[in-house]
Amino acid sequence: MAGIWIYSEDTIITQQIITLGRELAEKLQQPVCALTLYAQDAQTLIAAGADKVIVMKGDNPWPESYAEAIAAQAEAQQPGVFFIGATLRGKDLAAKIAAKLQTGLITDAQAVRVVDGAIETERMLYGGLAVCTEVLSGMNVVTIPPRAYDVPAQDAGRSGEIVTVEVTAAAAMAVGNVCPIVRKGADITVAEKLVCVGRGLGKQEDMQLAQDLAAAMGAELCCTRSVAEDYHWLPNEAYVGLSGQKVKPVIYLSMGVSGQVQHVAGIRDSKLIVAIDMNENAPIFGAADYGIVGDLYQVVPLLTEAIKNK
Amino acid sequence: MPTIIACYKWVLDEQDIKINPGSLDLDTSRAKSKISDYDRNAIEEAVVQAEQSGAEVASLTFGNSKAKQSLKDALSRGPAKAYWVNDALADSADAFVTANVLAAALKKAGQYDVILCGEGASDTYAQQVGPRVATLLGIPAITFVSEMKIEGDKVIATRKIGDCTEVVTSSFPVLVTVLPEINKPRIPSLKQVLGAAKKPITEWSAADLGLAAEQTTAKNKIKSIKGFVMSRKNVIYKDGTPADKVAGLVASLKKEGVL
Repeated sequence: MAGIWIYSEDTIITQQIITLGRELAEKLQQPVCALTLYAQDAQTLIAAGADKVIVMKGDNPWPESYAEAIAAQAEAQQPGVFFIGATLRGKDLAAKIAAKLQTGLITDAQAVRVVDGAIETERMLYGGLAVCTEVLSGMNVVTIPPRAYDVPAQDAGRSGEIVTVEVTAAAAMAVGNVCPIVRKGADITVAEKLVCVGRGLGKQEDMQLAQDLAAAMGAELCCTRSVAEDYHWLPNEAYVGLSGQKVKPVIYLSMGVSGQVQHVAGIRDSKLIVAIDMNENAPIFGAADYGIVGDLYQVVPLLTEAIKNK
Repeated sequence: MPTIIACYKWVLDEQDIKINPGSLDLDTSRAKSKISDYDRNAIEEAVVQAEQSGAEVASLTFGNSKAKQSLKDALSRGPAKAYWVNDALADSADAFVTANVLAAALKKAGQYDVILCGEGASDTYAQQVGPRVATLLGIPAITFVSEMKIEGDKVIATRKIGDCTEVVTSSFPVLVTVLPEINKPRIPSLKQVLGAAKKPITEWSAADLGLAAEQTTAKNKIKSIKGFVMSRKNVIYKDGTPADKVAGLVASLKKEGVL
């Protein structure tokens, strides 16, 4: 095995994965090599724990266009394992790299550990119903969700090798009209407290109940997929679940959420899960620390008052 | 007239999978199968695009013999014909194998201008087969698309990637992976369901595609698949008046120090 490689188009995420990389490096006695598109970030990555940084220098600003060049580097240098930040851009690039290298790719590894000298990963299957443990062999590519690890402290005294590679980044497509998605609410992925709205809520006007509770708690609002996609009561960016946002608040409180497995997959890192729902058999109660079985139209206003007067 | 091929995966319906409480093994014996949810969006988008551009739509799947049931379902959603790679190798396939098989099948099919895939499969959600297939075919992949149109021999698509959107234009042939928000798959009418039985199906085995054993052997080595257990306190207030239950919950949350 020749090195632990780490890449993300987002330097913060590259650093987060370096935390994992260092942990594995000690156990496997392997160097950590970070790849970046940004020469100005190379020193930061060394200070974060990389032993080597490869700067991919090309003139295409579109990160996905570097897949071929990055795959060529990996082909030539044969790293033992290649971790890529699981942003959507990262997942696109990782799949193209894995196809070029004709190798396996583990998407969204939830856990990475060393067992008997080999790297093992865990990931979700069937919308979060099951956990699949896989053993890496050959030059595997693994994508790691953002914020899975903390950014390591910068050690300005660290030194490392910085190599710049001039590459041609293929531009098979014209990319334009890049525009940021303007969030109507706060970023729920970093919110400390969340109130989640599900289909138990009868009509859009009743969103006021959720807003009042959220205001009393100092929480942000989020929702299930159908509330965003079918009813448009909240923007698509506010839905939590496997294909939506993954949240990790201190408290997540749901009202009228049945708790389909794909939704629960998005909340499982919450510190405390609280559920209010009419249906005693709703799966959300199996995933909850605390819950109330009852009519949310009665329970939620009482809860809002109680929290205001606490 | 452009040719659009929509790829789909025939997967177990996760709602029917039970977890054995002791061993945490999965019991799939009573699980029905379905066209992967996200792939239904891919098929629907192919049909929507064809309605606007006059394209011909075919479906393509790689599955074992049981995937035969999927063909009528897929065809009732609008494609004019179906390609089916019928091989037991599908049971042990990972995305590496699936992409090799689909790419080989697309080459054998010969004609493709736009290939549509879901953003991921509802069982593995590995989100990689689409861009892998494009790479193997040497064509561009436009991933995570929330809106698309075909103009002449070009696809213009809006990608939604985390905190921004971008508009990407590519000439044919091109592979597009679609987000679920791109459309709402229609429920096939009785006429469509009946009509599906008359549509042509082309069936191949992996051997027909000339794939070497190495290309059909999974790279990802599975050690175990176990039911996920959420270990939570499960303190549920269900008896008493709403006020009693709220008082109980508030007391608990105060104790947790989260209010």
